[in-house]
Amino acid sequence: MRHSVEFKNITKYFPGVKALDNVSFRAEGGEVLAFLGENGAGKSTLLKTLNGDYQATSGEYLLDGQAVHFRNPHEAIDAGVSVIYQERQILMELSVAENIFLGRMPANKFGWIDIRKANREAEKIINDFGLPLKPQTKVKDLSIAYQQMVEIMKAYSRDNLKVICFDEPTASLSDAEIDVLFKIIGKLRDDGKVVIYVSHRMSEIRRIADKVAIFKDGRYVATVDAQSTDEQEMIRMMVGRDLGDIYDNLDRDKTIGEELLRVENLSSDYVDPVSFTLHKGEVLGFSGLVGAGRTEVMRAIIGADKVLGGKIFLEGKQIVNKSPHDAMNNGIVYVPEDRKTQGILANLDVAKNITISMLDKNSNTLGVIDTGKESEIVDRGIKNFAIKTPNAEKKIVELSGGNQQKCIVARWMATQPKVLILDEPTKGIDVGAKSEFYNMICRFAKQGLGVILISSELPEIIGLSDRIIVMGNLAVKGEVSREEATEERLLSLAMSEGGKN
Amino acid sequence: MSSIWKKVKGFIPGDKLILIVALIIVVAIFTSLNGNYFSWTNFVNILVAASLIGLVAIGHTYLIIAGQNDLSPGSVAAFTGVLCATLVSMGLPFLAAVLITLLAGAVVGIFNSWMVNKIKIEAFIATLVTQFVFRGFAYILCDGRPVSITNEAYISIGATRILSIPLSVWIMLVLILVFGLVLAKTKFGRSVYAIGGNRDAARLAGLNPQRIITILFVMMGVITALGGIVFSSRMHSGQPAANVNLEFDAITAVVLGGVSFTGGVGDMVGTILGVILIQAFNTGLIMVNVPSFWQYVARGALLLFALTSDYIRKTNREKALLEASKKALAAK
Repeated sequence: MRHSVEFKNITKYFPGVKALDNVSFRAEGGEVLAFLGENGAGKSTLLKTLNGDYQATSGEYLLDGQAVHFRNPHEAIDAGVSVIYQERQILMELSVAENIFLGRMPANKFGWIDIRKANREAEKIINDFGLPLKPQTKVKDLSIAYQQMVEIMKAYSRDNLKVICFDEPTASLSDAEIDVLFKIIGKLRDDGKVVIYVSHRMSEIRRIADKVAIFKDGRYVATVDAQSTDEQEMIRMMVGRDLGDIYDNLDRDKTIGEELLRVENLSSDYVDPVSFTLHKGEVLGFSGLVGAGRTEVMRAIIGADKVLGGKIFLEGKQIVNKSPHDAMNNGIVYVPEDRKTQGILANLDVAKNITISMLDKNSNTLGVIDTGKESEIVDRGIKNFAIKTPNAEKKIVELSGGNQQKCIVARWMATQPKVLILDEPTKGIDVGAKSEFYNMICRFAKQGLGVILISSELPEIIGLSDRIIVMGNLAVKGEVSREEATEERLLSLAMSEGGKN
Repeated sequence: MSSIWKKVKGFIPGDKLILIVALIIVVAIFTSLNGNYFSWTNFVNILVAASLIGLVAIGHTYLIIAGQNDLSPGSVAAFTGVLCATLVSMGLPFLAAVLITLLAGAVVGIFNSWMVNKIKIEAFIATLVTQFVFRGFAYILCDGRPVSITNEAYISIGATRILSIPLSVWIMLVLILVFGLVLAKTKFGRSVYAIGGNRDAARLAGLNPQRIITILFVMMGVITALGGIVFSSRMHSGQPAANVNLEFDAITAVVLGGVSFTGGVGDMVGTILGVILIQAFNTGLIMVNVPSFWQYVARGALLLFALTSDYIRKTNREKALLEASKKALAAK
C-alpha cells in the first residue's frame, strides 16, 4: 500500500534560531522525495522533529492521514518511521542479525534468545536486498557502506515500516557503494514506502529522486519535479538570490604586500607537515573535503594542539605558539568552525563575549577590570560589525547565528591581530549575513591583515580568495591562483592521490 | 501589599528574594518550636557554626562555577587541624605552624589539580581520593588520638571577639567579601565564569583553563587549612575525626545560593545566604531536639531540595532564553 506523511505548520525554535518556520507539505509513498537546501536551511531539523528526536514548538504530523506525535525516536520506529543518520546508530560488537533485530530478538517462552531463527530471518532480508553479507558477521568487520546497509535493514525488518528518511547517506560512500544504496532505495520506493532523501549533491538528487522539496532559512519553498526542473532554477530557489552578484560586487581594490606569515613543515598529532606563506592584504583560501586537515593546521599554528615539528615565522621573525594565548599575543587569532562548542561563551552576555580576549589589557595590576574601557570596546564592536542586539547585556545565545559569529570576530578584532584565521565562518548563517561577512573579509584584507579562509563551499572560496591551497589526507595537495581556480580544479586536487604538485 | 512586593523585587533580584523568604520561614518555624531560637546569642552561635562551612563554600563557589568540584575539604580541615596542633605541641612557634599548615593546604590543592588536569580524572572522583587519603593522614599523624592545644596564641584565635562577634565569624565575613569582589570585578573572576561556561571556547579565546583550575584548587586547599586551624582552636584540640561531611554542607549551601552544577552561573551573595540558611536549619534541628539519626535524613532532604531548585532554575533559564530569542526573531 502507498503511505503518506503530511507536515502541517511545523515550527521549531532553538535559542537564537527559528530553525523551522511554518513548514507545510505532503510526502507520498511510492516516490523518492529529496530535501534540498543550504546548511542550516532546516532539512535535518525537520527530520528530527518528525521522528521525535526534537519536539516541534508547534504544528503536527499526519501519518497515513492520522495525527501522530512521537516523544522520542523509539516511539517513531515503533510506528514505522525510521531516520538513517550520517553517524551510524548501530552496535559494532554485535553481529549483523543481532543489530537488525536489536531489542526484538526472537525468543522462546522462557525469554531464551533463538539465535538460529534470528540468523535465518536476517538471511531472508539480506537476500531481499541482494547483499553479500553473512548474518553472523560482526558489524565492526564491515565497511562503512555495509554498516549503513545493516541500519537500513534494521528499519526494513519491521513489518510496519512506512517512512524511511536518509540524512546525507552518501557522504562517506564510494561510487560502487552508492549504486547498491540506490538500488535498495529504489526497492523501498517500489514497496510504496515514503522515502525522504536529504542531500546537497545535485547529481545524486537527479539520479534517485522523483521530486525535490526545497528549503531556505527554515522555510519550505516549493516541491518541484526532479527531472524536468532546471538545476540553476533549483539553486536559485534554495539560495533566494544569485550569489554570483555578491562576489562580483565585493570591493577587492587592494594591494597585496610583503610576506606576513611563513609556515615551514608544521605538523601535529593530527596533521602531516605543511608549508605555506601568507602576505599582507591577502585572502588565502584553504579548500578540501571534510577531514582534509585544514582545521588541524590552524590549530597547530595557534598552539591549540601540540606541535610536533616545523617552524612559524611572522614578519620574518620566528615565533612559537604554545597556546592560543601565545598566538593571540603574537597577533594570530582563530575564529573556530563550531561556533556553539568552541566559539561562544553561552553563559555570558554579548559584552563579556566580546571583551573576553582583552581581559589582560582591560584590567589594572590588581586584576580589577576597567568597565569603562570594556564598554568602549563593546560599543565599537557592535557598531563596526553591525551586530544586531537590543543591548550589550543580552545573553549571546539569544542572538541569531550570524550575529553570534560577528561577536566572535569583534572579540578578535579588538586585539588588533595581524593574521585572522576564519574556519567556515558562514556555516549555518543566512544569505544576508553571508554577504556581510564577505564584505567584512575584503575590508580586513584592504586594511592590510592577512586573512586565512577555510571554507567547504567552493563558490565562496573561489569568490573571495586571492590564492587557494587545497588539502587532502592531512597534507597539502596543491595551490591554485585566483585566476585558474574552478570548482572542478579544486575538487580534482582535493581527491588526488599524490602529495604536493 | 502587591506594590510593596514589587518595590522589594525591584531592589533585590528574585532568586535572592526566595532565599531570604526561605530563611525567614526557617527562623519562624524553629522559633515557634523553641523560643530561644530567636535571640542574639543564638544568632551569633549560628554564625560561628557557619564559619567553617562559609570558608569552604567560598572555594566551592569558585570551583563549581568553573565546572569543577571538591569532596576533600572535610578530611583536609581535620588533617590541617591535627597538623597545626601537632606542630605547636612539638614546640614550633604558632605563626610558623600556621604557615606550614597553610602550605600543606596548598599542596593538597596542587595534588587535586594535578589529578584533574594531568590524569584527567573527573574532579568529583579525584577529590574523593583526596578525601580518603587525608582522612587517613589525619589519623596517622596523631595515631588516632586528638591533639590538645595549650598554646595561648593558638587558643585566642577561637576565643577573641571583636564588637562581641567572634574572630572566626569576622574571618569568614571578610574573606567572603574579598573573594566576592574578586569574583565579580576582576579578570580572574571573569575567567572562572568563562571556563565554566565553555572550557574549549575559553581556551581558544586565549585563557588558560588548566592554570585557572590549579589556582582554584590551591585556593580551596589554603582556605580549608585556615578553616581547619580556626576550628581546632575553637575545639582546643586537633581532632582527626572532625568535619565529616563538611563538603556536603558547603555544596548544599552553594547550590541553594544559586550556583549551578552545569557551571558558569552563580555569585557570592547567593553563597552567603545559602550558608546562613543551611546553618540556621542545622542548628534549628539540634535545638528542637530532632534525633541525630533523623538529622541526617533532614540534611539529605535539604540537599535534594537544593538540587531540585538548581534543576528548576536551569529549566527556567532555558525557557526564558527560548522565549527571548522567539521575541527577538519575531521582531526581525
